[in-house]
Amino acid sequence: MSEYLHPYRDVTFALRELVDFDALCESAGLNEVNAELADAILEEAGKFGSDVWAPLNRQGDLHPPRVESDGVQETPGFADAYRSFVESGWPTLTFPESFGGQALPNVLGTAVNEIWQSANLAFGLCPLLTQGATEAILHHADEALKAIWLPKLVSGEWTGTMNLTEPNAGSDLAAITTRAVPNGDHYLITGQKIFITWGDHRMTPNIVHLVLARLPDAPAGVKGISLFIVPKFLLDEQGEPSVRNDAYCVSIEHKLGIHASPTCTMSFGDNGGAVGYLVGEPHQGLPYMFTMMNHARQSVGLQGLAISERSYQQAVAYARERVQGTTKDGRKIAIIEFPDVRRMLMQMRASIEAMRGLALLAAAETDRAKASDDEVQASRHHERIELFTPIVKGWLTELSQEVTYLGVQVHGGMGFIEETGSAQHYRDARILTIYEGTTGIQSLDLVGRKILRNQGVAINGLLDEIDDCARQLASEPEMSVLAERLSKALDAGRQATGWLLEEGARTAWAPGAVGVPFMMLMGYLCGGWVSCRMAQRAAERAASGEGDTEFLHAKVTTARFYCEHLLPRTQGLLETILSGSESVMSLPEAQF
Amino acid sequence: MSILVIAEHNNQALNPTTLSALSAAQRIGGEIDLLVAGSGCRAVADEAAKAAGVGKVLLADAQAYEHALAENLAALVVELAGRYSHILAPAGTTAKDFMPRVAALLDVGQVSEIIAVESADTFKRPIYAGNAIATVRSDDPIKVITVRASAFDPAAAEGGNAAIETLSQVCDAGSSAFVGEELVRSERPDLSAARVVISGGRGLGSGENFALLEKVADKLGAAVGASRAAVDAGFVSNDMQVGQTGKIVAPELYIAVGISGAIQHLAGMKDSKVIVAINKDEEAPIFQVADYGLVADLFEALPELEAKL
Amino acid sequence: MKLLVCVKRVIDYNVKVRVKADNSDVDLANVKMALNPFCEIAVEEAIRLKEAGVASEVIVVSVGPKAVQEQLRTAMALGADRAIQIDTDTMPEPLDVAKLLARVVEQEQPGLVILGKQSIDSDNNQTGQMLAALTGRPQGTFAYALKVEGDKAVVTREVDGGLRTLSLQLPAIVTTDLRLNEPRYAKLPDIMKAKKKPLEVKTPADLGVELKRHIIQLKVEAPAARKAGIRVDSVDALIDKLKHEAKVI
Repeated sequence: MSEYLHPYRDVTFALRELVDFDALCESAGLNEVNAELADAILEEAGKFGSDVWAPLNRQGDLHPPRVESDGVQETPGFADAYRSFVESGWPTLTFPESFGGQALPNVLGTAVNEIWQSANLAFGLCPLLTQGATEAILHHADEALKAIWLPKLVSGEWTGTMNLTEPNAGSDLAAITTRAVPNGDHYLITGQKIFITWGDHRMTPNIVHLVLARLPDAPAGVKGISLFIVPKFLLDEQGEPSVRNDAYCVSIEHKLGIHASPTCTMSFGDNGGAVGYLVGEPHQGLPYMFTMMNHARQSVGLQGLAISERSYQQAVAYARERVQGTTKDGRKIAIIEFPDVRRMLMQMRASIEAMRGLALLAAAETDRAKASDDEVQASRHHERIELFTPIVKGWLTELSQEVTYLGVQVHGGMGFIEETGSAQHYRDARILTIYEGTTGIQSLDLVGRKILRNQGVAINGLLDEIDDCARQLASEPEMSVLAERLSKALDAGRQATGWLLEEGARTAWAPGAVGVPFMMLMGYLCGGWVSCRMAQRAAERAASGEGDTEFLHAKVTTARFYCEHLLPRTQGLLETILSGSESVMSLPEAQF
Repeated sequence: MSILVIAEHNNQALNPTTLSALSAAQRIGGEIDLLVAGSGCRAVADEAAKAAGVGKVLLADAQAYEHALAENLAALVVELAGRYSHILAPAGTTAKDFMPRVAALLDVGQVSEIIAVESADTFKRPIYAGNAIATVRSDDPIKVITVRASAFDPAAAEGGNAAIETLSQVCDAGSSAFVGEELVRSERPDLSAARVVISGGRGLGSGENFALLEKVADKLGAAVGASRAAVDAGFVSNDMQVGQTGKIVAPELYIAVGISGAIQHLAGMKDSKVIVAINKDEEAPIFQVADYGLVADLFEALPELEAKL
Repeated sequence: MKLLVCVKRVIDYNVKVRVKADNSDVDLANVKMALNPFCEIAVEEAIRLKEAGVASEVIVVSVGPKAVQEQLRTAMALGADRAIQIDTDTMPEPLDVAKLLARVVEQEQPGLVILGKQSIDSDNNQTGQMLAALTGRPQGTFAYALKVEGDKAVVTREVDGGLRTLSLQLPAIVTTDLRLNEPRYAKLPDIMKAKKKPLEVKTPADLGVELKRHIIQLKVEAPAARKAGIRVDSVDALIDKLKHEAKVI
């Protein structure tokens, strides 16, 4: 049976030692916020996640939502849990105080979000999507619309959805055909959207759909898309949900995983048109989407970390209990003592610690950008956010496939049996490399927009920083093994980047063909970088006699495993990249 | 050494746990007096006087002691305490209630729930829910101790002939009053919290046959559980399922009847203190985890068990 | 009336306890700590009494080193109005804790003091009763239900045979059992507000109490490992083993 316990010590360690949370809060002028408060918040959130959300995870897998005559009925038990979640104020964590938020830093919001996603990935998608909708309104709607729609979205009393995808427009959003026609003080929206997460349910009195649609006079392609608020229920004079809007979930998908998340086909305007309110300026829909994209993509990366942690906890518990084989002196052995099982668990663990480090470090950049003293500093942090985002989304989610695969493998035959629970994590993880921009899209974003477009200035800045770290590490005898591996991986990163800037400039399809290996190389490199940094701090603390030496040594050992088992992948990826992409593209289509 | 053992009783009869406390007192050694405080409890004093190893029975018979109010009992014991080096009581809810009061009034510590006597001042007791055993020494002039009855074989109930001394003092603090009580809830205990659980598997053959288990459960005050196989076969409802996807239980005693011992079931009960397996098949995996295994036909063993309990 | 709730910082109940290799104690180095579960129930009961208008103020107190302030902040996040930390290097014995608390009771004069019936580390189940003795107050231990009716506290207690109800003259001491209530989860805004609620630090010297060791812990061992099982050949033999060897029936 799958239980979840918040990895409190690992998270608080990363917040203090890698992110330097206290200094971050100070520089942001957040006088009331510090690591001690973060500890208290994480402890309570951890309890809530373990006690309330986690037990519903399997429930959701076995009892997915159903479309009924009056809408979608979500998994039994979810509504009560959600109500408790809202009552406890969790949705408000990072939002501005002016709309009822707690204005806490993004990195803390990310650390807390890891709990919801680990405890119940399918359920966690609900507040995740709501956050996206809320941010869209917060950043782009006028004050009047914000006053009407934000308070209850911030509190979580209403949930939100993002309606972008259509049957013919997935990766290519420019191809959407949903129409918006002006009608007095609002618009009438007609069209169909698919794959809308938590598009309908009955946990809350209203649902706020953010919908991309074209106005009648819109320019063709990407420059002609506008963003609209289309609520499930229109509001009366008191701002309370009243009349049903013409926006319905007409079917839900039967999926491989995240069963409890209703993946809806939404039909707008079957009965004359759904009332919608324009957010911001006309034709700015896609640029508006881009401002939220970083957070949305990083959140999905976080989901990769979260499902990996869940899978790992279960695998460790099993490996400790499962006895197979006897020693010469008659003692029975638990499989956790077998080298191969150890290797798999270490790989899961090392991956997770690196993933967590990178996810938190990336999230903290948003806080640093906000806290910057001047434009120059701010733009440096923004640049870092842009660079990290595709790596966090692409690499963490890809790695989570391997971690959840190992989770099943550790269980042996029992892992393939649904009842054991590990299979659910493996299935749930599968969507992560696909939605919110596939791995391929992330890699194109990385190599195209984030590297080639600025001639590699941003990435070279990052590589220089990793270089400094490696040099510092090399000067410490205990860290020399790690330093050597990190340097080698860094070298691969430099070579790959060099090749990209040359070849990428010359050959049109080169970025697309090697984008994914390139992104994975950067991912492993960044993972190694954060692992080494945390190992260094752990070693320092242990040497000075502070803290639990066993825990701290475990950090160093895990980082070393990372450097010896995962960092070497950068060499293979480099070879692939350097070998050019002729073999990728030169086979004629007819031969497939 | 002189020891005062405080009897646990219901005004009609002595609770056998008292004999276990007496046994612990005997391990410490020295003269042992037994205190019977209650109302209309002469018969208890008579019974106590017959126990082996008791020097004297002190009888405090007054309305103030009828319902074992902690304030009154503690005051009484404190008045008597001066003559004794040790004060013991079996660790039922009565003693757990008043004994710490005695200790505080005497300005001494208390050693709760001892499971072994090492010497007159050194004892073993469980800590961290029994996940560790502490050996402690009391340096107090009077040692106030509660005794876990299940850890000490009861002293002989016969063979003694102690004198009974009636006490005159009546301690009535008047600050608390008995309102009422509800004794022994008639329904079977909740599966998750029961001290004893008896579970049936596919071997029972039908839902009706679970009645055999229920009869034994009644005798033991146990909850009834089932394996997934029995639930899947429709014998019983799924809220009785013990196992990985059912309830996880850790009772003092778990009796698995007609259950083969699949890993999913074991996951639900492997932390039980004592595991008993009754199964016709001597190769059944359940015997690997059972502390006591009986290879027998459950249709014979269950009625026999019920009759002999 | 004022309510005083006494809470203890103990290991988190999820932690698997290990005995140190030298058998001197349980290994507590950097283990996750939390509010004792029975103490959580005590805090919850106090908050409910405040919400029902029976209590005007809930004060939470804990004895121990600075780290116990975490638990005091948790209690304030759940609704306690202010906190008192009685600062000691280590965790004193129940009698000393009771003496310290008795002084606080003298100073604060609460109508009701609520404690957890026992802490999950030492499992002593003594502090509440000792406090009652030292303050000369009546006690209602192992509470399953609690009602304040005028100048009385009516406490239904879980006892060996079932349930027993007592009426106590206020001021009184109550200790909580597991089924008294289900504690709430702290709300995020309250966790943040708790930082600003008053937290006073006192020392045993401030309270005029001298700490003294009465019970010395000599060693700590792991419980006996599960022995290999045996076969019994009859129902009689089984019953005999269960009664006399395992002592479970």
